Amino acid sequence: MTALAALRAFSELRLLLLWRRLKGRGGVAELVSKVLLFAIAIPAGAAFAGATAFSAFHAVRAGQGIRATAPVAGLFFGVWMTWTAVALSLSEREGLDLRRFLGYPIPPGRISGYGLAASVIGDPFAVFWCLLLGGAFGGAALARPGAWLLPLALVYAGFTLATVALVALVQELLARLVRGRRGRVLGIVLVYVAVGAAVSWVAGTGRSLLEVVRAIRALRWIAYPAALADSATAALYAGGTLRGVAWLAGLLAAALLTAVAAHRLALAAALSGGGGASRTAATGGAGWRLPGRLGGLVEKEGKYLLRHPLAAVLALLLPAVAAVVMWRLAPRLAEEGGEVVAALPIFGFALYAHLAVQVFWLNALGWERGGARTWFLAPVSLAEVLLAKNLVTYLFSLALFAASAAAGVALGGAPPAWALGGALLVHLGAAPWLLAAGNFVSILNPTAAPLTVQRGGNVTALSGLAGMAAISGAGGLFAVPALIAIRVEAPWVLVAGSALLAALGGIAYAALLPRAGALLAARREAVLAAITGDEA
Amino acid sequence: MLAIETEGLTRLFDGRPAVEDLALHVPAGAFYGFLGPNGAGKSTTIKMLTGLLAPTHGRARVLGVDLARDPLSVKARIGVVPDGLSLFERLSGAEQLRIHGQLYGLERREAGRRADELLAALELEADGGKLVSEYSHGMKKKLALGCALIHGPSLLFLDEPFEGIDAIAVSGIRRMLQDLVASGAMTIFLTSHVLEVVERLVTHVGIIRAGRLAAEGRLEEVRGGSTLEEVFIRTVGEERPPQALSWLGEGPRAP
Repeated sequence: MTALAALRAFSELRLLLLWRRLKGRGGVAELVSKVLLFAIAIPAGAAFAGATAFSAFHAVRAGQGIRATAPVAGLFFGVWMTWTAVALSLSEREGLDLRRFLGYPIPPGRISGYGLAASVIGDPFAVFWCLLLGGAFGGAALARPGAWLLPLALVYAGFTLATVALVALVQELLARLVRGRRGRVLGIVLVYVAVGAAVSWVAGTGRSLLEVVRAIRALRWIAYPAALADSATAALYAGGTLRGVAWLAGLLAAALLTAVAAHRLALAAALSGGGGASRTAATGGAGWRLPGRLGGLVEKEGKYLLRHPLAAVLALLLPAVAAVVMWRLAPRLAEEGGEVVAALPIFGFALYAHLAVQVFWLNALGWERGGARTWFLAPVSLAEVLLAKNLVTYLFSLALFAASAAAGVALGGAPPAWALGGALLVHLGAAPWLLAAGNFVSILNPTAAPLTVQRGGNVTALSGLAGMAAISGAGGLFAVPALIAIRVEAPWVLVAGSALLAALGGIAYAALLPRAGALLAARREAVLAAITGDEA
Repeated sequence: MLAIETEGLTRLFDGRPAVEDLALHVPAGAFYGFLGPNGAGKSTTIKMLTGLLAPTHGRARVLGVDLARDPLSVKARIGVVPDGLSLFERLSGAEQLRIHGQLYGLERREAGRRADELLAALELEADGGKLVSEYSHGMKKKLALGCALIHGPSLLFLDEPFEGIDAIAVSGIRRMLQDLVASGAMTIFLTSHVLEVVERLVTHVGIIRAGRLAAEGRLEEVRGGSTLEEVFIRTVGEERPPQALSWLGEGPRAP
């Protein structure tokens, strides 16, 4: 099969699947949501692209010095950091599952290539970042037209390729790490031991780890695509075309190597069958000792969540994201704001811990496949089923928050006690609002989700949009006491307001749970059709 | 006494009937074979009788209870192996059985004891610690049967229990089902395409065609002097000649 024929077949397959989805139940709403996501991403990207164009224009005109280098470094490191963090922990990007296509006479490398392209074109977040890079290129072109723009364009393209390839590589590495139970546990334990050791070291020396980490310049190479693209662009802005091209060659070679490594790992995983072969409770008496129906439900949900590769990935990744945020953000907040502003990152971690696990509350039934029939065959209360799911998701999110806060404390020093207590309250208080909303979204718009570390397909565009609305709503709600506290410089307002909102959330959740159970019973045919493929 | 009794049971999909005006009579203690060609409405009927689908019209009484009025008490007394099974793929076989027992109201310790007994009886003892996703199709079928039996139901629904499993497994399951009915422990309602197996197992038979009941009664009454296969083909339609495919034998196209 020629490359063009394969591409045509893929495009036709995706268009046909899209068309069938649109023609099916809720298809129009799905289309509107998808368009809306891009409609938000593109104007937002275009607006910020104006800013990057402006700073690139002035940087090129300056040529050298801090006015030239700071905007370049800010753009590449900022885009790299948010792109990798969001793509790994949040974005429901498009992608291709290599395993599904291994039976066709198409080179697997080509399928991986299409997958990388789809992960840029099909993801509103990626489109947003590409627009920022495009804006910077436009600004540079306006400032100094000429042949040097060709290597500059290649730097932006190489940076984009390297970043998506790096995301794919990290996903594959994490998937490999978490595939075996021993590896998963070992990986997580190592991360937390390291965090624990860092906390004790900081407590012992009285010196913030952040101060130490920021002093190590070599750490910038962790962000290799950003560091290479930064060096190449800075050289090109300064008129050093040869030096710029040398950095560009390094960037392109690194991008290619990363893409090949990601593909090799994905292929090896696909050929090995993919799934995790962990041995677990082998007798009826083994397992968690939780009594009764609710105990059984909680055990099932807990094991399902903890055996999902994404759970281990989040447990490894979120503390790292928190550490990077503290590394870049905390010193500026401490300099520019008061006590309340300096404590805001920890409140952000509280909400981000809910956001990171949104696939588990926005599509709570999506991983059950045939098992979902059990809820309608067994004599169980559907409200109890949802309660067990919510409880487990909440506890997992709480663990992620605790780990992120610990990493933040390790790197940036301990915030005041009121901030830790308040953030815990925000986490607790946001949960009933989000989980209650998630129950209705899960029932009204379920989708069969893959049990892979890649996040594509875990929730539909419509559910993703509903999730954004729920998180924004909860964020807005809890921002009110935060803003008042900042205004009057009284932290207790934040704590008291959060406690009040948490109590109201608890009352709303208790009132809504039986309704969600009744809705699930009424929609059982549509839910089973979406999750198990049963015709309704 | 009847274990299952339906009256005018109908299910429409997009206005078209999948099952129409069905009047089933399944005596308690019977081994009832519910037969029909693909798409005749067998699985739709089982789904309506077990609560997975709501009927468009009509009524169903299961174990003397109106299904629409008190579904939970019916569910507590029946066991189901649905088409497509109802297994949680990320649990181990042992966990699946024990948690299933807990969902049906068994104490954890008792559910664990029964899970171990079932693993042994179904010859899955060595695989109890494997995730269900790693089971073969036949092993999944056996595990699903174990789940359906763990709470000691009075009525067992089995949708195509012998589909996709080897002859040895079929023989084992068949013996187990026969023992259950012979001991008077339960009524079994089963659908299957494997007519030879059904003929050796069932005491009663119902044949459905295009959503309507075409024949029902004791096996000997329905069969008369013929085999069940002859009666089945006569009832549901004639044998069709095979269609030749024009391109086969030409070899693959050059890439």
